[in-house]
Amino acid sequence: QEEAQAIDQELFTEYKFSVDQLMELAGLSCATAIAKAYPPSSFTTSQPAVLVVCGPGNNGGDGLVCARHLKMFGYEPTVYYPKRPSKALFEGLTTQCQKMDIPFLSEFPAEPALIDELYGLVVDAIFGFSFKGAVREPFGSILGTLQRITAPIASIDIPSGWDVEKGKADGLQPDMLISLTAPKKAAAHFTGRYHFLGGRFVPAALQQKYALNLPPYPATDCVLQLT
Amino acid sequence: IPISSRQAFPLPSLPRKQPTVLVVCGPAQNGAIGLVCARHLRIFDYEPTIFYPKRSPDPLYRDFTTQCEKMDIPFLSYLPTEVQLINAAYNAVVDAVLGAEAEAGEGREPCAAILATLKHVRIPIVSLDVPSGWDVEAGSSGGISPDVLVSLSAPKQCARRFLGRQHFVAGRFLPYDVQKKFELNPPEYPGTECVVALRAPR
Repeated sequence: QEEAQAIDQELFTEYKFSVDQLMELAGLSCATAIAKAYPPSSFTTSQPAVLVVCGPGNNGGDGLVCARHLKMFGYEPTVYYPKRPSKALFEGLTTQCQKMDIPFLSEFPAEPALIDELYGLVVDAIFGFSFKGAVREPFGSILGTLQRITAPIASIDIPSGWDVEKGKADGLQPDMLISLTAPKKAAAHFTGRYHFLGGRFVPAALQQKYALNLPPYPATDCVLQLT
Repeated sequence: IPISSRQAFPLPSLPRKQPTVLVVCGPAQNGAIGLVCARHLRIFDYEPTIFYPKRSPDPLYRDFTTQCEKMDIPFLSYLPTEVQLINAAYNAVVDAVLGAEAEAGEGREPCAAILATLKHVRIPIVSLDVPSGWDVEAGSSGGISPDVLVSLSAPKQCARRFLGRQHFVAGRFLPYDVQKKFELNPPEYPGTECVVALRAPR
């Protein structure tokens, strides 16, 4: 977890990347990976409807970017974003989604069956690699509901609620994981069908410094399928 | 400034063993897009070199410059006027000198000198948005002749005069209401691609 935070820090302070830049590339990777694993034609719901659940931090921001690109790729995303930071970045991303006619739910579907009926995929953009400690409401109940749905879940970077290094055997078990920048230690505990790598922006020098040993991305793709 | 992906993905197949590309960046937004393009080229394992003589004071663009420098992308201190040197060292030139916002008489030097040199290179030129030096509506006679044009958002009027091999549009991420408002009618983008070819390669 510290390494991931250190890499991020270097990208921002040494390389002068803005959070906006990297978040946009990260969110785009997530949407691209989802499009590869769950093409719109594969949905059994009448529309390729996707529920994107966004948490209170940067992982949520990644989710907002992802939702916008999913819309561009022909999906019908809906966002649930209960705790919104009052920062220009997140307000901007929210506006961009709203202007693209992406609906924002005012409450979370209470029943797992309802989620399964309406959506063919759920994107978990609740907590990311900075997550520590106890899960605060409303996310505890949300995660509880998500654990009981049958629709596939695609988690951004870390399955929410997992310990960033050790995982969580009784936690969320997503079908897909999109690791950003590099897989985190918790990814070793991932048992879903699809593991993609996204966030193709790490300069070679940083990759070497932190011995990331990332496999090469194909051509100009922004994602790499690991499993 | 929209945070839409400012990535141009030209896809030439390069003849030389080392995929060297010269990216020539002007003083304004077109140049900044060139910087972002250079960085992505580096990530894609090309070997870009940048010529950026007149640097913008805009903090966002300064950061783009830092990102390129930290990625070990060399910045030339001058552009050789001997065209043979350019032809020999690089496989292609990315023209990010002037975009649609430039006016005919704006930024005369060093842009005019750069464009005079670029007119004579034999290696392919990829122009970002508008072939630099062209009038954005009328085009140009006697200006540079790019091999590839990457129109940003939507083709500009001068694109009709484009005679090169490939014309791409990078406009996938424009919000729908903007597309409708300006009646852009973009073509279908394949899969998750962010560029689409408007014309089959000759």
